[in-house]
Amino acid sequence: MTTQDSLNPEQGPPATGRVRVVSPHSAARRVLGGASVSEEVAEQSAVGEVMVQSLIRSQLRLALVVSIGFMVALMIGWSAIRWVPAFRTWQIMGIPAPWLMLGVGVYPVIGACAWLYVRAATKNENRYRDLVDEK
Amino acid sequence: MNPAVGFTAIITVSIITALIGFYGLRISRTTSDFYVASRTVPPWLNASAIGGEYLSAASFLGIAGLIMISGIDALWFPIGYTAGYLMLLFFVAAPLRRSGAYTIPDFAQARLNSTQARYVTSFLVVMVGWLYIVPQLHGAALTIRTTTGLPSWVGATAVVVIVCLTVITGGMRSITFVQAFQFWLKLTALAAPAVFILLLVSGSTGMVPPGGIRAGSEFFPASDILDGESMYRTVSLLVALLFGTLGLPHVLVRFYTNPDGAAARRTTLIVLGLLSVFYLFPTIYGIVGRVFLPGLITNGNADATVLLLPGTLIGGLGGSILTALVVAGAFAAFLSTTSGLVVSLAGVISQDLLGGSVRGFRIAAIAAAVVPLGVALGTDSLALAGSVGLVFAFTASTLCPLLLLGIWWRKLTDIGAVAGMLTGGLLCGSAILLGAQLGPDSPWRDLLTQPAAWTVPAAFLTMILVSLATPQRRNASLARFMSKLHVPERPLATGQGRG
Repeated sequence: MTTQDSLNPEQGPPATGRVRVVSPHSAARRVLGGASVSEEVAEQSAVGEVMVQSLIRSQLRLALVVSIGFMVALMIGWSAIRWVPAFRTWQIMGIPAPWLMLGVGVYPVIGACAWLYVRAATKNENRYRDLVDEK
Repeated sequence: MNPAVGFTAIITVSIITALIGFYGLRISRTTSDFYVASRTVPPWLNASAIGGEYLSAASFLGIAGLIMISGIDALWFPIGYTAGYLMLLFFVAAPLRRSGAYTIPDFAQARLNSTQARYVTSFLVVMVGWLYIVPQLHGAALTIRTTTGLPSWVGATAVVVIVCLTVITGGMRSITFVQAFQFWLKLTALAAPAVFILLLVSGSTGMVPPGGIRAGSEFFPASDILDGESMYRTVSLLVALLFGTLGLPHVLVRFYTNPDGAAARRTTLIVLGLLSVFYLFPTIYGIVGRVFLPGLITNGNADATVLLLPGTLIGGLGGSILTALVVAGAFAAFLSTTSGLVVSLAGVISQDLLGGSVRGFRIAAIAAAVVPLGVALGTDSLALAGSVGLVFAFTASTLCPLLLLGIWWRKLTDIGAVAGMLTGGLLCGSAILLGAQLGPDSPWRDLLTQPAAWTVPAAFLTMILVSLATPQRRNASLARFMSKLHVPERPLATGQGRG
């Protein structure tokens, strides 16, 4: 890292809050190598700060939506067992539906929620990366 | 039961655990190796290890035992244990990995910039870990007593000795291999006998179980659902399990071994798959056990259902082999959860009290294991799934608000965090203690024996209100830390790991 640091134009005295304007393919970026450009942008500029905040907000919104959706689904299942006699007595291959739902059926739902979340969260992060690279 | 079967199973598992631990010893050299396996464990291995560590006595023995006692309501336990990982994936996995901290107290200090907050967090982490080890040792005592006839203390002591030896000699790298192996052992040990039991019960082998199916006993009595638990108890249990998982110290320390935030998410996804498959099986034992081993419910040994069912239904050599398998799986469950907890507690204790050296880590590991052993020997076993459920409630009321608000809410202050954790801990702790003294008819019983539904919101509320009242205590360098948590790592051109 030491050689890279000495080449790094950002290591001078960059005024805090200054917005760095560089082409996405500029030499400055390539020189940074292992360091994260997106992180530097975030730390050094007001615009970066806003971008990070919007990333955090979209990730939080996503997490809340998926988790609340999952909990609502659980509550609907619980109510069906408790208050819908037809569901309570319904049998599939000799096994009552409530047992099948709670013993087996919940798990694919959990898996689906997790998969959807990972996909959407990765998409949010990619969108953030693209934004940073465009700057 | 033939004691030789139990002895063989337990000794074999212990020897294999020690061998894998020794093999891992050769690649762990530095302090960083000891703490978090140098953060280079691939997702599938890490996921197996997380599964191995997480599936404790409560999952392996406790769920079937609880189905014996309370029927379909017990199914909320495995649902909660699995869905807890869902919450962990949504709110904690990737940011916590990116935080670059070794332990939860490290996170608290970096986020809040306060050593007091760090010490309070360390104290709670150690409490949670100790409380969680106790039911594991109770499970070991039960297993040894049921399968070999030896006194209870032998089981608990054996687990502590083996765990201390493994942790002291290998550190976390070998723990990763040991845990991954033990996950697959536990899954096989539960699945293989379950398949035979199902074939037998459905009558497709042509064999009639000893004594036949008892007249008048049904696999799915209708009374199950009608006399079910109150809505309050179910909701409160789910709050505890969903939000308790993301504060468990032995679970969290595992996420630091992922290479980056995205890998932490992939790992969690795999863990969810592994848990979903595993939790299909305890249900089978519980349902079949209610019909064939009803005596266990009345004599208070319902947690032994998994251990006794294969031998009861399947006689001869086949029965002995399957029994040896479940005993081995159960012992693997106690060993893996206890060693995971001991490693994470040792990390916390040695960093805060002993300067973070490798020697300090070893001393701390012994302290982390011996204290709960004393508690386990001095107390009686409750229903395993229930007592682990209370630990989840305690974690959800203390460490969970710290992590959730710390990761997602900028206005959290150190004073707010400490006030919230102490409020949640005191409320939940005293509710559990008081609840244990109450008679079955007390109107307060539900509120005190299943406290998460009100203690978790109380902890969150205290944390938020006190933080809002102390805005001058906000961490000045917060923006930098928050972007570290949430900004994705760049694919590294140089291949160097950061953090």
